[in-house]
Amino acid sequence: MTTVTEIVPESSRSAPGKRKRRFRLAPYLFLAPALIWYLIFLVYPMYQSLMISFMDWDGLSPNIRYVGLDNYRRIFFEDQTARRALGNNILWTIGVLLIPTVIGLLLAVALDRNLRGRTIYRSIFYGPAVLPMVAAGMIWAWMYNPQFGFVNYVLQAIGLGHLARGWLSTFETALPAVFVTQIWGGVGFPMVLYLAALQAIPSEQFEAARIDGANGRQLFFQITLPWLREAHVIVFSLAVINSFKTFDLIYTMTYGGPGRITQVLGTWMYFHAFQYYHAGYGAALAWVIALITLVMAIPYIQRMSRD
Amino acid sequence: MFSTSPSLKAQTRLNHAILYVILTAMAIVWLVPVVIIVLTSLRSQGDLISNGVFAWPEQIQWANFARAWGIGNFSIYFRNSLILIIVKVPLGIVISALAAYPLAKMDFRFRGIIFIFFLLGLAIPIHVTLTPLLVMMKQLGIAGHLAALIPPYVVFGIPFQIFVMRGFFRTVPSELMEAARLDGASEWGIFWRILMPLSTPALATLFIIDALATWNELLMALVLISSTEWRTVPVGLLQFQGQFSSRYTEMMAGVVISILPIILLYVFLQRYMVAGLTAGALKE
Repeated sequence: MTTVTEIVPESSRSAPGKRKRRFRLAPYLFLAPALIWYLIFLVYPMYQSLMISFMDWDGLSPNIRYVGLDNYRRIFFEDQTARRALGNNILWTIGVLLIPTVIGLLLAVALDRNLRGRTIYRSIFYGPAVLPMVAAGMIWAWMYNPQFGFVNYVLQAIGLGHLARGWLSTFETALPAVFVTQIWGGVGFPMVLYLAALQAIPSEQFEAARIDGANGRQLFFQITLPWLREAHVIVFSLAVINSFKTFDLIYTMTYGGPGRITQVLGTWMYFHAFQYYHAGYGAALAWVIALITLVMAIPYIQRMSRD
Repeated sequence: MFSTSPSLKAQTRLNHAILYVILTAMAIVWLVPVVIIVLTSLRSQGDLISNGVFAWPEQIQWANFARAWGIGNFSIYFRNSLILIIVKVPLGIVISALAAYPLAKMDFRFRGIIFIFFLLGLAIPIHVTLTPLLVMMKQLGIAGHLAALIPPYVVFGIPFQIFVMRGFFRTVPSELMEAARLDGASEWGIFWRILMPLSTPALATLFIIDALATWNELLMALVLISSTEWRTVPVGLLQFQGQFSSRYTEMMAGVVISILPIILLYVFLQRYMVAGLTAGALKE
């Protein structure tokens, strides 16, 4: 260890051979704090929770029983709510890819033009993305309030009062209502990402195509979209990863209810591990989320690590 | 070539007019929820019941904010979230920048693998660390205390920060470092006296993004913090939601209080926030 510490601050007015050896050690010294931190507080807990997922354990007592893959079997073959939660995550993912992502793309294309006031529009659409999701959830829960909420107020004002309801407490509308909050907060990120990507398209591309007589739609499908491929991969991967991590909005707005209709894997995991004291089952649910997000992250990480 | 044809010009003008109508309508929809909570937070409960949510308040009730701040314990939550930001954010960024230096500028055997190893962290849901971290913090005797949040918050910031700092360090010309080396600077000296000062824009951006993430994080804080004494803003807000469930005007005052610092930050530093997010996601 002493040799290691001596080697780094040493001046480099040394023989080339010696410098080469120092170069082999220095990188690891700079990496050490991050690597150690990462191993202790991320990799080791992940490994432990994998082990816990093979156990029947309440999370507190010394009574631990090895049950193999039984927790996973229950997730997929026994627990109705877990399957609903997985289904909700899949619906949520498809919804995110279809609605806020597409709106974000269209907004980016619109606001990439030389419109007056475009920075103000951008700020408005991106704004909700910086708020805590708990606050966004509370804001929209208030919008949906059955008695005083703005949504029912507007419905009554335009003569559609019969549609007014407790949006978050009705089985059919609870998940879509929460998802509206996701749209509100979720158009900003794809918008700014696509805007950055659009600005990287050389303008000669468009000019050349215009000279060849391409119309607006052809320009969009033949030039704009292909140039955005990089951005698509990132937006797509992050949308899927974040959809499977969803927790805050559901927890704040419906608490998984009414009944268990809006449970997602993230909340169902939390309820098992920290409310019902099924740490083993909760860990298995958490690992299901992790496996999905890690697999879905492969194209994203490939892009990110490319030089 | 584009400005000569009058019909094309008229067409463009019409297109822009349509766009403005659509964008403005959307912008109004996007702003309505915020306007509603502000209006709600400014009126009395009686005013709300008799006039509904959209009318202008009969009388501005600043007292809602005072009551929410006091009964809602917001001074405690603000203090805790600020302490976390002050301790956690610089610590995480320095650790990440240190690791980013060799990944950007040095040649060694496991460089690629280590970089990917860190990047995988971007896809790991915090759910998968919760129970073991709670056990670990209990063993360390800091479960329930604010300090328990610092290690996991730092670790979940590392992947993104290493990625951004590595990208930034790569743009620093190697000749600068070579010159310093010839003048007798050590690697440690090069890092602190050349790379870090040159990276001020990236560091500032990361600071803002990370401060925001820390201010907004819910799940980890929900699991690791148990007493009011150490609650952060999002956990405190949830507590507040339960406590004030039918006192809507004060509840919305609490929501406004909790998002006000972020909105101010956003108004003044928006450019850095957005630049950082896209820099992190897209590669030049």
